[in-house]
Amino acid sequence: MSAKNQFVAIARIELAEVLRSRWLWFCVGTYAVLCSIFVLVGLRESSVLGFTGMGRVLMSFSHALVLLLPLLGLSASGQVVNRMRDDGSLELWFSHPVTRGAFFAAISFVRIAVLVVPLAIVLPLLGVIGQVSFGQSVPWGFVTRTLVVASALLVVSVAIGLLVSTFVRNQSKALMLLLFTWALGVALLDFALVGLMLQWHVQPLLVFTLAALNPVQDARLALLAGADPELGQLGPVGFFLAQELGPTGLLVAGIAWPCVLGATCWWVTLQRFRRGDLV
Amino acid sequence: MRVELRDVTKSFGAVTALRRVSFTLESGERVALLGPNGSGKSTLTRSLLGMLDCRGEILLDGLSPVADRARVAPRIAYVPQIAPRLAAPVREIVAAVARLRGLTRSAIEEIAAALELDLSACAARPFRSLSGGMRQKLGIALALASRPSLLLLDEPTASLDPRARQRFFELMETLAEKPTVLLASHRLDEIRHLVTRVLVLEDGVLTYDGSSRDYLGDHAQGVIEVLVDDEEVARWLAVHGFHCTGSGWWMRTVKNGQRLDLVQDLTTHLRHAVRDLVVRDVESIRIAKHDAKKEPTP
Repeated sequence: MSAKNQFVAIARIELAEVLRSRWLWFCVGTYAVLCSIFVLVGLRESSVLGFTGMGRVLMSFSHALVLLLPLLGLSASGQVVNRMRDDGSLELWFSHPVTRGAFFAAISFVRIAVLVVPLAIVLPLLGVIGQVSFGQSVPWGFVTRTLVVASALLVVSVAIGLLVSTFVRNQSKALMLLLFTWALGVALLDFALVGLMLQWHVQPLLVFTLAALNPVQDARLALLAGADPELGQLGPVGFFLAQELGPTGLLVAGIAWPCVLGATCWWVTLQRFRRGDLV
Repeated sequence: MRVELRDVTKSFGAVTALRRVSFTLESGERVALLGPNGSGKSTLTRSLLGMLDCRGEILLDGLSPVADRARVAPRIAYVPQIAPRLAAPVREIVAAVARLRGLTRSAIEEIAAALELDLSACAARPFRSLSGGMRQKLGIALALASRPSLLLLDEPTASLDPRARQRFFELMETLAEKPTVLLASHRLDEIRHLVTRVLVLEDGVLTYDGSSRDYLGDHAQGVIEVLVDDEEVARWLAVHGFHCTGSGWWMRTVKNGQRLDLVQDLTTHLRHAVRDLVVRDVESIRIAKHDAKKEPTP
């Protein structure tokens, strides 16, 4: 049997499982609430407050996204493999002719798809609804940028989640590690731990490197670069990187680095999944 | 399918589940794998399925179940004792397995029907909502429909009623291909009906490798119950290890290998006093530690 058929068979089962768990609907609901706030507040107030108001709202929206998306991505994938190991699913499926690579690719694809596809539908859809309802022009450039950057952030979050769920057998420990990972990603933003580290006179190179390696920070900067932010919004590291890379460079870094990191994590996890014990 | 294990060792942290296990199963051979809980039976079965990373060598028709999985896995089928409690409906699982194995749904339905499981009736039900017996029947149907060369069975009839158990034994006898069978079980009837050879694992070490008839003769036990209405024969029964259970019934547990002789003695000496006689199995096999007959092959 071809790897493609194995992939399709496992992806179907996994998708059905995700639909049954109502995870997809939770994602759609979360995105809808977030985007509704964006449409209702952002578009309405932009006509009153002008560019400055819109920029502030976009910044808030970007921050909300970079806080929320990693949490969604990690929680959607962080207990997939270890739960399957515990409930006997791995034993069931690997008693049939399916290769480890095809299996892992299928569950990864489904977990990313159920997070990205709803966002790709809800965000433009609510933009259109906002346009029709309030007669305001939708910043399609920002919407597109948001979609691409958010997808990259989701890819790296899912990859890290799968890594944790494959390497950490105990589901409770995995959950703790996921929360820690999310907290670390959020802490290493300009307005959090990074700001404090600079105040504490930690070596700037170290602080800037840590912040730049944080995919959440990169995604945040890539989103903010589209809203022409000021130093106060970007933070010191963000401002430095913006000066060095420029808006296009920030966008590329915000997309490329999470994708590279995600691909690396995924590859490492795949090697472990291929060679390690399944049960 | 020929199965060869050479010095297979598997450790989980500090716990060694298999210690240099070596044996060969010839193609078409039917073998029982016995051992107390935690002796390494499941680890061995999972190793054959390529789920565990072991030291030593496992060869299935000369191929590794891990490195050559794409070629080997389609020829192996497995019936677990306890099926996972999946939320997926039966139709989804059947469809996925049919797709993975290139089977038609009717091939699975046919075997399920032979075990008196109506797949159409339970298609929409979540797999986990099925009774243990129904899940086991479905597992057997999925395994046998794939016409495997190696069939791994883990107490396959533990949850089946006697009628379905009998149907399963009949199905096994009518398999067109003669697969190699490795049966992990404690059930006397499964071992008696399905295998000709027994392997015993204790603490991960292979301690017995011999014919099932010899093993059952030494280790399986039966109960002989006899109803007498003559007080004079009580002495003979007591001397021969029987004890009275009331209402005139006397009973004794005996090794399977000795029970025929005892029944012959009984009928010879007490022919006129015996009103009824029952000979039955004690279902589980006693696997005492360190009663090895043979050291594992180095």
